[in-house]
Amino acid sequence: MPFNSQTLEEPTFRGEPDWLRDRRRNAFAAYERLPMPSRTDEEWRRTDVTGLDPSTYAKLEHANGYKQEMPGLPAGVIFEPLSVAAVKHRQLVEPLLFSTGHPDRDRFSALHAAFFTGGNFLYVPDGVVIEEPILRQHFSHEGGTTVLPHTVIVAGRGSRFYYLDEYIGEEEEGAGYRSGSAEIFVGEGADVGYVSIQKWGRHAWHLADQRARLEKDSRLRLFNVTLGGRFSKSRVEASLVGPGASAELKGIYFASGKQFFDFHTLQDHQVGNTTSDLLFKGALQDTAKTVYAGLIRIEKGAARSDAYQANRNLVLSDHAKATSIPMLEIDNNDVRCTHGATVGPVDPQSLFYLQSRGIPATTAKRMIVQGFFGEVLERIPFEQARRLVETELEARLG
Amino acid sequence: MADFEIRDLRASVEGKEILKGVTLAINKGEVHAVMGPNGSGKSTLSHTLMGHPGYTVDGGEVVFKGKNVLALQPDERARLGMFLAFQYPVVVPGISMTNFLRTALNAKRGYDGKDKSKQISPKEFRSMLKGELEVLHMDDSFLPRYINDGFSGGEKKRAEILQMAMLKPEIAILDETDSGLDIDSIKFVAEAVNRMRGPELGVLIITHYTRILEFIKPDYVHVLVDGRFVLSGGPEVADRLEKTGYSEWGDVEDKPEEVA
Ligand SMILES: Nc1ncnc2c1ncn2[C@@H]1O[C@H](COP(=O)(O)OP(=O)(O)O)[C@@H](O)[C@H]1O
Ligand SMILES: [Mg+2]
Repeated sequence: MPFNSQTLEEPTFRGEPDWLRDRRRNAFAAYERLPMPSRTDEEWRRTDVTGLDPSTYAKLEHANGYKQEMPGLPAGVIFEPLSVAAVKHRQLVEPLLFSTGHPDRDRFSALHAAFFTGGNFLYVPDGVVIEEPILRQHFSHEGGTTVLPHTVIVAGRGSRFYYLDEYIGEEEEGAGYRSGSAEIFVGEGADVGYVSIQKWGRHAWHLADQRARLEKDSRLRLFNVTLGGRFSKSRVEASLVGPGASAELKGIYFASGKQFFDFHTLQDHQVGNTTSDLLFKGALQDTAKTVYAGLIRIEKGAARSDAYQANRNLVLSDHAKATSIPMLEIDNNDVRCTHGATVGPVDPQSLFYLQSRGIPATTAKRMIVQGFFGEVLERIPFEQARRLVETELEARLG
Repeated sequence: MADFEIRDLRASVEGKEILKGVTLAINKGEVHAVMGPNGSGKSTLSHTLMGHPGYTVDGGEVVFKGKNVLALQPDERARLGMFLAFQYPVVVPGISMTNFLRTALNAKRGYDGKDKSKQISPKEFRSMLKGELEVLHMDDSFLPRYINDGFSGGEKKRAEILQMAMLKPEIAILDETDSGLDIDSIKFVAEAVNRMRGPELGVLIITHYTRILEFIKPDYVHVLVDGRFVLSGGPEVADRLEKTGYSEWGDVEDKPEEVA
């Protein structure tokens, strides 16, 4: 089964409303029209996708976000598979779906928009607080397939809640194409904690976008954990569109073996009196490679904005390589903007200090890497996710 | 043969010869002081003894418990019973003092993450810690903090001695533990060290000044100038230095008494 317009006539998609089917067809047309990104495009200069032909993996896995035990949700909260919500709550879903990023941005975005299946729609009405985090797991079941879940989260005015998307594949599963994207709409005065943990199998191609739009006085704490895939490219983007909005964007990654991770982040201050605080920390070993490119954009009218961006890399092997590219685009002088990047090995003084207390070098190194992550793990917005990530890291650091 | 023997030790840093043949025999139960002006090689000695990778051994040997110490990794030296209180304790972000102390103690007890019976129990750990904290006049608020992170000079040095007290070494090297400390802190540190003194501990106390030696009485004093011992003797050597400084060994301007 190739990716073609016939696929869109399959039962999975046939039940969907016309507006959504039209959109899929348009996105598919874009997929067919657009060339593969090439290394002459700035965004893809260090990111090699020549080995990727998505049609190799044209078997779609249709998994809606697997529901773990959920406590009852407060009245008015809508939580459905996206395909169901598209029918039942068209007035909410239609204007928002893919509104943060156009499907024809590049060929992979178009593919995702044409064939996404699975993923959830969450709508939390004004003033509603959900204490228990909402936890969702998305699985791949075999190699050779495509898995494209899409999450849409809408936080009403003054609402508050936590959400976790966990992407899980067998470590040694054959190559496949995976996405795992989210759009988050944070309403006025709302406070949202969002965590994604990507642990697809070692051979997967992963291309995902996490995009958020923050209204007046809202707060988003987004935490991206990237561990899986042979190739992983994530775009994490926050648009601050209302004064008083505050986005905390944090991420950790641990790349080993032949893994390649790419992160492109955007802190887009469209109006003034907005705050963004970004920290991505990664450790690399073996022959792993990572690329981080982050842009702070402060638009003309966005006076008194405050933006911070840092990328820190701990390189644990001579053959691993981390590249870090901070970028600024500032059209207003009345702002505070700080950024920094570091790439370096384990500090030999720290290692000697720990060893001098009897701690063997391998244990000491592991402690130093854990400590390196520890500082940012504390910023995971809720306890369950923090424990999950800590356990996962511990297992991977060995 | 002494319990801990340094024989004709020569070492260099970045190709520069620093230690030019140091010989010293320490028995458990003894306190040896090494005094010397800045740059004479005191920290080179302490780091070389502990196995810092930035220092190259050019010759000589160090023997402890029948082992050639210079062939061992720093952690092996520590587990054999050596301890170094750093002149400049290292800040290690992200690792709490508690985690650090517990891991070090477990390593010493031979716990490798498998045999749980070798692990120190939380209760034992806490009570041990509590006792030592009291002696050093420290409160436990620094335990959840990252290793030496944001510690004042005095806190860092006391934390070094705390680690020594927890790990109970047989040979302890204190590298300028007194430098930068106010008189009260020196007294607390000295009190803690004096409590540990006994037939099971040999101490090598490295200092620039004579003051700490008023509180920790050495059995032997050695004067290190330009990578060599130029004088060794009993406590009277310290008294002599107190008066004349290091000037009798060339144009060394340093005075061993504290500058205000
Ligand atoms: N890491 C280093 N790189 C270069 N030179 C060093 C280094 N460490 C020490 N030295 C030099 O070695 C000599 C002895 O230093 P050190 O052992 O620290 O002296 P002390 O502890 O007695 O003050 C000095 O001349 C110092 O400049
Ligand atoms: Mg020194």
